[in-house]
Amino acid sequence: MTIMKLLILMHVIGTVLGVGAATFAEIFYTRFNSDNIITDDERNTLAVIYTIMRTGLFLLVVSGFGFLLYFRLTEHVGIFSSPSFWAKMTVVAVLACNALLLQARIMPFLIGTAISLTSWYAALALGVFGKISASYVEILIYYVIAVILVALALQWIRARLHGPPKANV
Amino acid sequence: MTTALAALLVIHVIAGIVAIGIHNVVLMHLLKKAPNYIFISRLAWSVVALYLISWATSAYYYVTYYGTAVKPRILAGDAPFAHNFFMETKEHIFLLLPFVALSIALCASYLRAHPDDDALRKSTAFLTLVALGIGVATAVSGMVVSGSI
Repeated sequence: MTIMKLLILMHVIGTVLGVGAATFAEIFYTRFNSDNIITDDERNTLAVIYTIMRTGLFLLVVSGFGFLLYFRLTEHVGIFSSPSFWAKMTVVAVLACNALLLQARIMPFLIGTAISLTSWYAALALGVFGKISASYVEILIYYVIAVILVALALQWIRARLHGPPKANV
Repeated sequence: MTTALAALLVIHVIAGIVAIGIHNVVLMHLLKKAPNYIFISRLAWSVVALYLISWATSAYYYVTYYGTAVKPRILAGDAPFAHNFFMETKEHIFLLLPFVALSIALCASYLRAHPDDDALRKSTAFLTLVALGIGVATAVSGMVVSGSI
Protein backbone atom coordinates (compact mmCIF):
# COMPACT_ATOMS: atom_id res chain seq x y z
CA MET A 1 0.00 0.00 0.00
CA THR A 2 1.39 3.39 -0.95
CA ILE A 3 1.63 6.27 1.53
CA MET A 4 -1.05 8.13 -0.43
CA LYS A 5 -3.51 5.22 -0.17
CA LEU A 6 -2.77 4.88 3.53
CA LEU A 7 -3.47 8.59 4.04
CA ILE A 8 -6.70 8.38 2.03
CA LEU A 9 -7.80 5.38 4.11
CA MET A 10 -7.01 7.22 7.35
CA HIS A 11 -8.79 10.36 6.13
CA VAL A 12 -11.89 8.44 5.09
CA ILE A 13 -12.00 6.50 8.37
CA GLY A 14 -11.65 9.78 10.31
CA THR A 15 -14.45 11.39 8.30
CA VAL A 16 -16.73 8.35 8.61
CA LEU A 17 -16.20 8.18 12.38
CA GLY A 18 -16.69 11.93 12.79
CA VAL A 19 -19.77 12.33 10.58
CA GLY A 20 -21.32 9.14 11.93
CA ALA A 21 -20.65 10.03 15.55
CA ALA A 22 -21.94 13.61 15.09
CA THR A 23 -25.15 12.26 13.54
CA PHE A 24 -25.71 9.63 16.22
CA ALA A 25 -24.80 12.04 19.02
CA GLU A 26 -27.65 14.23 17.84
CA ILE A 27 -30.09 11.34 17.42
CA PHE A 28 -29.27 9.82 20.81
CA TYR A 29 -29.28 13.15 22.61
CA THR A 30 -32.72 13.98 21.22
CA ARG A 31 -34.00 10.51 22.16
CA PHE A 32 -32.39 10.41 25.60
CA ASN A 33 -33.63 13.89 26.42
CA SER A 34 -37.26 12.97 25.67
CA ASP A 35 -37.99 13.06 29.42
CA ASN A 36 -35.67 16.05 29.94
CA ILE A 37 -33.41 13.86 32.10
CA ILE A 38 -30.09 12.36 31.02
CA THR A 39 -29.39 9.28 33.17
CA ASP A 40 -25.87 8.05 33.97
CA ASP A 41 -26.17 5.23 31.41
CA GLU A 42 -27.31 7.67 28.74
CA ARG A 43 -24.52 10.05 29.70
CA ASN A 44 -21.98 7.22 29.35
CA THR A 45 -23.37 6.29 25.93
CA LEU A 46 -23.06 9.90 24.78
CA ALA A 47 -19.52 10.06 26.22
CA VAL A 48 -18.52 7.04 24.09
CA ILE A 49 -19.98 8.70 20.99
CA TYR A 50 -18.11 11.94 21.72
CA THR A 51 -14.88 9.95 22.15
CA ILE A 52 -15.45 8.36 18.73
CA MET A 53 -16.09 11.83 17.28
CA ARG A 54 -12.83 13.17 18.74
CA THR A 55 -10.96 10.12 17.44
CA GLY A 56 -12.39 10.88 14.00
CA LEU A 57 -11.27 14.50 14.28
CA PHE A 58 -7.77 13.40 15.32
CA LEU A 59 -7.49 10.99 12.36
CA LEU A 60 -8.84 13.66 10.01
CA VAL A 61 -6.34 16.29 11.16
CA VAL A 62 -3.29 13.99 11.22
CA SER A 63 -4.07 12.49 7.79
CA GLY A 64 -4.86 15.98 6.47
CA PHE A 65 -1.43 17.18 7.48
CA GLY A 66 -0.04 13.96 6.03
CA PHE A 67 -1.55 14.99 2.67
CA LEU A 68 -0.01 18.44 2.96
CA LEU A 69 3.38 16.91 3.69
CA TYR A 70 3.01 14.55 0.75
CA PHE A 71 2.12 17.43 -1.58
CA ARG A 72 4.96 19.52 -0.18
CA LEU A 73 7.54 16.76 -0.65
CA THR A 74 6.30 15.97 -4.18
CA GLU A 75 6.15 19.73 -5.01
CA HIS A 76 2.40 19.66 -5.77
CA VAL A 77 1.65 22.82 -3.81
CA GLY A 78 -1.34 24.01 -5.88
CA ILE A 79 -3.74 22.85 -3.16
CA PHE A 80 -2.45 25.58 -0.84
CA SER A 81 -4.02 28.24 -3.07
CA SER A 82 -7.40 26.48 -3.24
CA PRO A 83 -10.28 28.33 -1.48
CA SER A 84 -12.03 25.05 -0.65
CA PHE A 85 -8.86 23.81 1.08
CA TRP A 86 -8.69 26.89 3.32
CA ALA A 87 -12.46 26.70 3.91
CA LYS A 88 -12.06 23.08 5.00
CA MET A 89 -9.21 24.08 7.32
CA THR A 90 -11.45 26.79 8.81
CA VAL A 91 -14.32 24.35 9.30
CA VAL A 92 -12.02 21.85 11.06
CA ALA A 93 -10.67 24.67 13.28
CA VAL A 94 -14.25 25.65 14.13
CA LEU A 95 -14.97 22.01 15.04
CA ALA A 96 -12.03 21.93 17.47
CA CYS A 97 -12.90 25.33 19.02
CA ASN A 98 -16.55 24.34 19.32
CA ALA A 99 -15.61 21.15 21.19
CA LEU A 100 -13.54 23.22 23.63
CA LEU A 101 -16.29 25.80 24.15
CA LEU A 102 -18.88 23.07 24.72
CA GLN A 103 -16.58 21.40 27.25
CA ALA A 104 -16.10 24.73 29.04
CA ARG A 105 -19.89 25.21 28.94
CA ILE A 106 -19.43 28.59 27.30
CA MET A 107 -21.18 27.57 24.09
CA PRO A 108 -25.00 27.14 24.30
CA PHE A 109 -25.74 23.46 23.69
CA LEU A 110 -28.18 23.98 20.83
CA ILE A 111 -25.77 26.18 18.87
CA GLY A 112 -22.82 23.92 19.72
CA THR A 113 -24.53 20.78 18.43
CA ALA A 114 -25.69 22.61 15.30
CA ILE A 115 -22.13 23.80 14.63
CA SER A 116 -20.74 20.31 15.25
CA LEU A 117 -23.23 18.56 12.97
CA THR A 118 -22.98 21.14 10.19
CA SER A 119 -19.19 21.33 10.37
CA TRP A 120 -18.75 17.59 10.02
CA TYR A 121 -21.04 17.48 6.97
CA ALA A 122 -19.39 20.62 5.55
CA ALA A 123 -15.94 19.02 5.90
CA LEU A 124 -17.29 15.90 4.19
CA ALA A 125 -18.86 17.93 1.37
CA LEU A 126 -15.74 20.05 0.81
CA GLY A 127 -13.64 16.88 0.70
CA VAL A 128 -15.96 15.12 -1.74
CA PHE A 129 -16.51 18.10 -4.06
CA GLY A 130 -12.81 18.98 -4.18
CA LYS A 131 -12.19 22.05 -6.31
CA ILE A 132 -15.27 24.25 -6.49
CA SER A 133 -15.77 27.61 -8.17
CA ALA A 134 -16.93 29.50 -5.04
CA SER A 135 -14.51 31.80 -3.24
CA TYR A 136 -13.39 31.31 0.37
CA VAL A 137 -15.79 33.99 1.66
CA GLU A 138 -18.71 32.55 -0.33
CA ILE A 139 -18.09 29.07 1.07
CA LEU A 140 -18.02 30.44 4.61
CA ILE A 141 -21.25 32.39 4.03
CA TYR A 142 -22.95 29.16 2.84
CA TYR A 143 -21.51 27.45 5.91
CA VAL A 144 -22.87 30.06 8.34
CA ILE A 145 -26.30 29.90 6.66
CA ALA A 146 -26.22 26.10 6.96
CA VAL A 147 -25.35 26.34 10.68
CA ILE A 148 -28.32 28.69 11.27
CA LEU A 149 -30.69 26.43 9.32
CA VAL A 150 -29.51 23.32 11.17
CA ALA A 151 -29.88 25.10 14.53
CA LEU A 152 -33.44 26.10 13.64
CA ALA A 153 -34.23 22.58 12.43
CA LEU A 154 -32.83 21.01 15.61
CA GLN A 155 -34.77 23.44 17.76
CA TRP A 156 -37.95 22.65 15.84
CA ILE A 157 -37.40 18.88 16.13
CA ARG A 158 -36.68 19.05 19.85
CA ALA A 159 -39.59 21.38 20.55
CA ARG A 160 -41.95 19.22 18.51
CA LEU A 161 -40.86 15.86 19.87
CA HIS A 162 -39.60 16.46 23.35
CA GLY A 163 -40.33 19.95 24.55
CA PRO A 164 -37.70 22.65 25.11
CA PRO A 165 -34.10 21.36 25.14
CA LYS A 166 -32.25 21.17 28.44
CA ALA A 167 -28.46 21.52 28.37
CA ASN A 168 -27.59 18.93 30.98
CA VAL A 169 -24.96 16.84 29.15
CA MET B 1 15.96 17.09 -0.72
CA THR B 2 17.57 13.97 0.68
CA THR B 3 15.49 11.18 2.22
CA ALA B 4 16.90 12.01 5.65
CA LEU B 5 15.82 15.65 5.37
CA ALA B 6 12.38 14.62 4.12
CA ALA B 7 12.08 12.27 7.11
CA LEU B 8 13.08 15.11 9.46
CA LEU B 9 10.44 17.37 7.92
CA VAL B 10 7.79 14.65 8.31
CA ILE B 11 8.78 14.07 11.96
CA HIS B 12 8.73 17.84 12.60
CA VAL B 13 5.19 18.22 11.26
CA ILE B 14 3.66 15.05 12.70
CA ALA B 15 5.23 15.55 16.16
CA GLY B 16 4.02 19.16 16.19
CA ILE B 17 0.47 18.31 15.10
CA VAL B 18 0.15 15.44 17.58
CA ALA B 19 1.49 17.76 20.33
CA ILE B 20 -1.15 20.39 19.47
CA GLY B 21 -3.83 17.67 19.49
CA ILE B 22 -2.69 16.40 22.89
CA HIS B 23 -2.68 19.93 24.33
CA ASN B 24 -6.27 20.14 23.12
CA VAL B 25 -7.06 16.96 25.09
CA VAL B 26 -5.21 18.34 28.15
CA LEU B 27 -7.28 21.52 27.99
CA MET B 28 -10.55 19.61 27.66
CA HIS B 29 -9.69 17.50 30.71
CA LEU B 30 -8.61 20.56 32.72
CA LEU B 31 -12.03 22.05 32.06
CA LYS B 32 -13.76 19.06 33.68
CA LYS B 33 -15.20 19.32 37.19
CA ALA B 34 -12.98 16.52 38.53
CA PRO B 35 -9.97 16.17 36.22
CA ASN B 36 -7.80 13.04 36.28
CA TYR B 37 -4.45 14.73 36.98
CA ILE B 38 -2.44 11.51 36.57
CA PHE B 39 -3.71 11.23 32.98
CA ILE B 40 -3.29 14.97 32.38
CA SER B 41 0.31 15.11 33.64
CA ARG B 42 1.29 12.09 31.52
CA LEU B 43 -0.17 13.75 28.46
CA ALA B 44 1.45 17.10 29.32
CA TRP B 45 4.90 15.51 29.64
CA SER B 46 4.44 13.66 26.34
CA VAL B 47 3.74 17.05 24.71
CA VAL B 48 7.07 18.37 26.05
CA ALA B 49 8.87 15.40 24.45
CA LEU B 50 6.99 15.84 21.17
CA TYR B 51 7.71 19.58 20.97
CA LEU B 52 11.39 18.97 21.69
CA ILE B 53 11.50 16.36 18.90
CA SER B 54 9.65 18.73 16.55
CA TRP B 55 11.97 21.56 17.57
CA ALA B 56 15.20 19.59 17.07
CA THR B 57 14.21 18.13 13.69
CA SER B 58 13.03 21.49 12.36
CA ALA B 59 16.20 23.20 13.58
CA TYR B 60 18.41 20.77 11.65
CA TYR B 61 16.21 21.08 8.53
CA TYR B 62 16.19 24.88 8.78
CA VAL B 63 19.95 25.25 9.22
CA THR B 64 21.07 22.70 6.65
CA TYR B 65 18.43 22.98 3.93
CA TYR B 66 15.76 25.68 4.25
CA GLY B 67 18.08 28.70 4.17
CA THR B 68 19.92 27.63 1.04
CA ALA B 69 17.30 25.71 -0.96
CA VAL B 70 13.81 26.86 0.08
CA LYS B 71 14.10 30.45 1.27
CA PRO B 72 15.52 31.84 -2.04
CA ARG B 73 12.67 30.19 -3.97
CA ILE B 74 10.04 31.74 -1.68
CA LEU B 75 11.66 35.19 -1.85
CA ALA B 76 11.79 34.99 -5.65
CA GLY B 77 8.19 33.76 -5.92
CA ASP B 78 4.77 35.40 -5.75
CA ALA B 79 4.53 35.37 -1.96
CA PRO B 80 7.80 36.54 -0.36
CA PHE B 81 5.77 37.50 2.74
CA ALA B 82 5.55 33.75 3.44
CA HIS B 83 9.18 33.91 4.52
CA ASN B 84 9.50 37.57 5.54
CA PHE B 85 6.52 37.48 7.86
CA PHE B 86 5.27 33.95 8.47
CA MET B 87 8.57 32.05 8.72
CA GLU B 88 10.33 34.84 10.60
CA THR B 89 7.44 34.97 13.10
CA LYS B 90 7.08 31.20 13.28
CA GLU B 91 10.72 30.51 13.94
CA HIS B 92 10.77 32.90 16.90
CA ILE B 93 7.39 32.10 18.42
CA PHE B 94 8.03 28.37 18.06
CA LEU B 95 11.05 28.77 20.35
CA LEU B 96 8.64 29.47 23.20
CA LEU B 97 6.47 26.41 22.79
CA PRO B 98 8.63 23.73 24.47
CA PHE B 99 9.04 26.01 27.49
CA VAL B 100 5.33 26.77 27.69
CA ALA B 101 4.66 23.03 27.36
CA LEU B 102 7.22 22.38 30.13
CA SER B 103 5.45 24.89 32.40
CA ILE B 104 2.11 23.16 31.75
CA ALA B 105 3.65 19.76 32.51
CA LEU B 106 5.15 21.04 35.78
CA CYS B 107 1.81 22.56 36.80
CA ALA B 108 0.04 19.29 35.95
CA SER B 109 2.52 17.34 38.06
CA TYR B 110 1.95 19.76 40.96
CA LEU B 111 -1.81 19.37 40.53
CA ARG B 112 -1.37 15.60 40.83
CA ALA B 113 -0.21 16.14 44.39
CA HIS B 114 -2.55 19.07 45.09
CA PRO B 115 -5.81 18.33 43.23
CA ASP B 116 -7.78 20.86 45.26
CA ASP B 117 -5.84 23.85 43.96
CA ASP B 118 -8.59 25.20 41.71
CA ALA B 119 -6.84 28.49 40.99
CA LEU B 120 -3.84 26.61 39.57
CA ARG B 121 -6.16 24.37 37.52
CA LYS B 122 -7.73 27.46 35.94
CA SER B 123 -4.34 29.11 35.35
CA THR B 124 -2.98 25.90 33.80
CA ALA B 125 -6.05 25.68 31.57
CA PHE B 126 -5.46 29.27 30.43
CA LEU B 127 -1.77 28.58 29.76
CA THR B 128 -2.74 25.48 27.78
CA LEU B 129 -5.15 27.61 25.76
CA VAL B 130 -2.29 30.04 25.03
CA ALA B 131 -0.03 27.13 24.02
CA LEU B 132 -2.80 25.81 21.80
CA GLY B 133 -3.16 29.20 20.13
CA ILE B 134 0.58 29.48 19.54
CA GLY B 135 0.66 25.90 18.24
CA VAL B 136 -2.18 26.45 15.78
CA ALA B 137 -0.68 29.77 14.59
CA THR B 138 2.66 28.02 14.07
CA ALA B 139 1.01 25.18 12.13
CA VAL B 140 -0.90 27.61 9.90
CA SER B 141 2.31 29.58 9.29
CA GLY B 142 4.01 26.35 8.26
CA MET B 143 1.22 25.67 5.78
CA VAL B 144 1.55 29.17 4.30
CA VAL B 145 5.33 28.72 3.96
CA SER B 146 4.93 25.27 2.36
CA GLY B 147 2.36 26.61 -0.05
CA SER B 148 4.55 29.48 -1.20
CA ILE B 149 7.39 27.46 -2.72
